[in-house]
Amino acid sequence: MENQDCQSFINIFPKIMQQQIVKETFQLVSKRDDNVCNFLEGGSLIGGSDYKLIYHYATLYFVFCVDSSESELGILDLIQVFVETLDKCFENVCELDLIFHVDKVHYILNELVMGGMVLETNMTEILTRIEDQNKLEKQEAGIAAAPARAVSAVKNMNIPQQIKDIKLPDLPQAIKDLKF
Amino acid sequence: MQIFVVVKWISHEMIIINELKADIFNAGATKYSTGEKGNMNHDRDFCCGGGESRLVLIMALKKVKGNIERMFDKNLTDLVRGIRNNRENEAKYISQCMEDIKQELRQDNLTVKSNAVAKLTYLQMLGYDISWAGFNIIEVMSSSKFTLKRIGYLSASQSFHCDSELLMLTTNMIRKELNSQNQYEAGLALTSLSCYISTDLARDLSNDILTLLSSTKPYIRKKAVLMMYKVFLKYPEALRPAFPRLKEKLEDPDPGVQSAAVNVVCELARKNPKNYLSLAPVFFQIDDRLFGALTPLEPRLGKKLIEPLTNLIHSTSAMSLLYECINTVIAVLISISSGMPNHAASIQLCVQKLRILIEDSDQNLKYLGLLAMSKILKTHPKSVQAHKDLILQCLEDKDESIRLRALDLLYGMVSKKNLMEIVKKLMLHMDKAEGTIYRDELLSKIILICSQNNYQFITNFEWYITVLVELAQMEFGSKQGHVIGAQLMDVCIRVQAIRSFAVVETAQLLDVYTSTSQFTIMQEVLYAAAWLCGEFVSELKYPNKPLRQC
Repeated sequence: MENQDCQSFINIFPKIMQQQIVKETFQLVSKRDDNVCNFLEGGSLIGGSDYKLIYHYATLYFVFCVDSSESELGILDLIQVFVETLDKCFENVCELDLIFHVDKVHYILNELVMGGMVLETNMTEILTRIEDQNKLEKQEAGIAAAPARAVSAVKNMNIPQQIKDIKLPDLPQAIKDLKF
Repeated sequence: MQIFVVVKWISHEMIIINELKADIFNAGATKYSTGEKGNMNHDRDFCCGGGESRLVLIMALKKVKGNIERMFDKNLTDLVRGIRNNRENEAKYISQCMEDIKQELRQDNLTVKSNAVAKLTYLQMLGYDISWAGFNIIEVMSSSKFTLKRIGYLSASQSFHCDSELLMLTTNMIRKELNSQNQYEAGLALTSLSCYISTDLARDLSNDILTLLSSTKPYIRKKAVLMMYKVFLKYPEALRPAFPRLKEKLEDPDPGVQSAAVNVVCELARKNPKNYLSLAPVFFQIDDRLFGALTPLEPRLGKKLIEPLTNLIHSTSAMSLLYECINTVIAVLISISSGMPNHAASIQLCVQKLRILIEDSDQNLKYLGLLAMSKILKTHPKSVQAHKDLILQCLEDKDESIRLRALDLLYGMVSKKNLMEIVKKLMLHMDKAEGTIYRDELLSKIILICSQNNYQFITNFEWYITVLVELAQMEFGSKQGHVIGAQLMDVCIRVQAIRSFAVVETAQLLDVYTSTSQFTIMQEVLYAAAWLCGEFVSELKYPNKPLRQC
């Protein structure tokens, strides 16, 4: 089992079950052929016959588990919007983008779905919101971001270990014992 | 270029560190007093005079080293990369990371803490428990910086539970957030809250959220509308005072807010349709989903709708709209099942259109068509029967979801003439079928079809017994054994003429079992077989052998 990528559990399931649900979902969906329909009757753990899994496979699987009140075609549409948004935000999104930037994927998803209910499906609106929030973050990071980015590039060298190995003199015992 | 800058900076810092080190030791050396047995009494020396400047130096040293170390803390990307590179010893690597995270959480710096929380969120997604870090998450949520807040709120929405006691600590913080000038901060709080709102939080915050329904920003209004639904779920008393405001939102100028309001009202109506009948006229302009829920209660409403919907069905080419209309018509017609004759035409129209859906090469449309047909089947089986050939075709589809749907439909379509043919096809499928769920489903359907209405459609019971015996020798999920067994017994008991044949067959079963020890025959069936042999032993020519085998 390779990547579990982004999971968002809206209904509260006990933690142990969450992993099982993911495993079961993965097993059910990965057995599907390429040209079958995108709807799967849900497995036993997710509420049984009331629930369906709706998924979309381009090169990646996006699985939504919905109850009977949702329109199946509407959800497929939603997945489409989600994928297109990811594409715009990551510039030709690929699997690695999603793996390394799970937090950003979550932020994007949060503009489409809130607490398990569809929030917005208009792409322009969604993209505007995401852009605004990214701008906020950039403003806050300011100049301080520069060395941080440079450091990411340097992290391959084993400098950290050398730093950790520097031995400092001990604080004198009296200072250590000081209480404030 | 940037790399040079950093390396220079680091080497600069390291020079400082070395100089500081040298300073301290040089200063200290002259103050050594070799006490008893050559101990170096640093304490006494540092305490008396000159100690302060040494202390300042040491603290500065620690800070510089700390700064550099912090720079090299793993961030989320590093963590992900690290886990991917350490697949063989993942558990060990992750426990090391956890240690680092705990270390980072002990720092005062909120940026460091939020880095740690971001990593924890990722680990939680992989299945590790992070409930111990609840306080830290709340700390990060309380940061004044949007970037850090965001991390905290995301973590909360993934890991907080509505029954957690921690939530009490968040009430005031969330309230402050909801009233923030910055719409995105309020948005953060709302989104996060929707995942873990508890009854207490709902009660305490419902007024604040209600106020937000009138915010000047449509973004906030939209989120607040959806949030009200969650509030209602946990604290139903909030519904009555809030409902008029919610109704107003149905006519909000912003389409996003309007859709959200429709969404919420539909969900509420599903749970409690009676209260929402008054809204019907408003809705007709917007959405026909609601009608599906309402029409069972209000037949007049249904009748009014049929005509416009039928027109829509005739005219539209958009598949999704067609599908929704058909669904609604079905819902309506089921409710007026006292059958008005002119509605038969509507049903026919629906079935016709559904046929087109099913014949489409798009698998999704096939699935939806079959789904809708099943609904019609319940009240108008004759209309569906005309399309038996199509359904049988669907049985051959490679897609398991479609086959399951087609199976569902078959139940209403069998007759005396086609029963044997259908069962034969189904048994062929069983041979080929891979998953046990599908096989079990096939088995139950076969038995269901054959036994419905007191075996109405079976003309040849000998044939049926052979079918059962054959089924008994196939592999199924554990529960099916007793179904087959029960059938065997039922048929034998009720159909006297068949007994001799049946007993011979079941004796053979026992034979096969004992002589070849084929364990594929299920226990319950053997039990039934044995019982039958015992009960109707008079029918057997050579009773001794089977009796011994029992």
